[in-house]
Amino acid sequence: MTSTLINVFKKLNITAVTQIRLCSSATNVVSEHRDISVIKKDWKFPPQYTKPREVWIENLDTVKENKLGLFELHPLIYATVPRIDLIHRNVEWQKKYRWVSWAHTKTRAEVRGGGRKPWPQKGLGRARHGSIRSPLWRGGGIVHGPRSGKTHFFMLPFHMRIHGLTSTLSAKFAQDDLHVVKDLELPTEESEYLIDLIKERNWGPSVLIVDDTDYAPRNITVATDNLPYVNIMPVYGLNVYSMLKHDTLILTHAAAQKIEERLLNHLHSNTAIQQAKFKLDQV
Amino acid sequence: MATVWRSQRAFARFFAGKTVRILNNASDLGAKLTPASISVSSTQNYSNYAKSPFVKRIKEQYEFDIVKNPPEWAYVERLMPFESIPNVTPKETYPSGWIPPKEEAKNLPYFIARTRNHQMPIYLDLSMKGTRKISLIRRIEGDIWLLNDLIKEHLQKTQKRYVETRVHELGRFIEVKGDFVTTLRDWAYAQGF
Repeated sequence: MTSTLINVFKKLNITAVTQIRLCSSATNVVSEHRDISVIKKDWKFPPQYTKPREVWIENLDTVKENKLGLFELHPLIYATVPRIDLIHRNVEWQKKYRWVSWAHTKTRAEVRGGGRKPWPQKGLGRARHGSIRSPLWRGGGIVHGPRSGKTHFFMLPFHMRIHGLTSTLSAKFAQDDLHVVKDLELPTEESEYLIDLIKERNWGPSVLIVDDTDYAPRNITVATDNLPYVNIMPVYGLNVYSMLKHDTLILTHAAAQKIEERLLNHLHSNTAIQQAKFKLDQV
Repeated sequence: MATVWRSQRAFARFFAGKTVRILNNASDLGAKLTPASISVSSTQNYSNYAKSPFVKRIKEQYEFDIVKNPPEWAYVERLMPFESIPNVTPKETYPSGWIPPKEEAKNLPYFIARTRNHQMPIYLDLSMKGTRKISLIRRIEGDIWLLNDLIKEHLQKTQKRYVETRVHELGRFIEVKGDFVTTLRDWAYAQGF
């Protein structure tokens, strides 16, 4: 068991120059005492230099954490250098594209009254005025004020969105906030069970669970229904804002693979269509 | 009244005595209109909805059946765009002058990864109307500071002068002041990247 742990630490040590590339020795970790197996991946785009990261596959059917196996993650997706500037651009984009500002002011034409010249142009010794709703007047119209229904929609360039996702996933993984579970089957539909589980495993106050299907199992949907800090999301809904909003990101085994596959494909294909100028009728 | 009567008679003469084919726009949609499918006899008033003939099941012009995974599908696939950029097939020589990355470069403590199009990510940045020239080495993995030292040493040797560089550790790139793209590319190819 000790030698296993040493092996694991050796593999996790990425800074040591001699240990950087160790793609081939993944099977060393298999222990005789437990039936743990490393799932070796055969990627379409294998990692060039940085070795794949390994992550435990955990279970959800007991409160106590039970490690079911080891799983390799592609370093291009889960172990890049996190570009915090791109994470920030993504968060700003997600806040802005749905923001419609309803602030509104009236111009001098829209404020009621003011059609009559308040006093004659000459002869009174007073300033020249043509309307009591002029912007110079108290209660007059507003010049260049906010006009309602202003959208702040824009599209972030495609590769900024892609690298925002990889950066956030890598940051979560580096901070030990990314966990992979086998599936989402719970033994009960009690919320207490999930609360205990989250407390036992130190999964931060808020948890985002990502599955590769739209339909989560019944037990977990009922259990999370009145827990506002535990949310379930399909893979296609994964985004930077939600990942940052929740402390812990829980991916199912299938979801982790699907995210990896999709992002890797975008990183290794001609993305001229996705990079083209955004048009409203393209969806 | 007389004109109406005459026109009706003209219509009757047009369809006189036999069943004829009625031309419509559907005639060229892969279905052949036979006299049996849509036909009128001259005795019936065609403009009458209740008396007009029922449309029967039309005969297909071309015989076909739907097959899943036919052998000819390979020829269609050949025309479709690539889903992702394909890997390079190893050859003795490449007529374009493209140099393949070497396997032994992966044992170095630093690495320059090829782009998705299998090109060397070393570029020239021109700014200030072309007076400011910066050579940019991107996609560096591993020990970027060691790579920086080696580049400086190499440029000192080849250019016979000190060359300024700047390392961006988070963005994983090195900027070299001056146009040394060709020198740097040759150096990187020699290293095996």
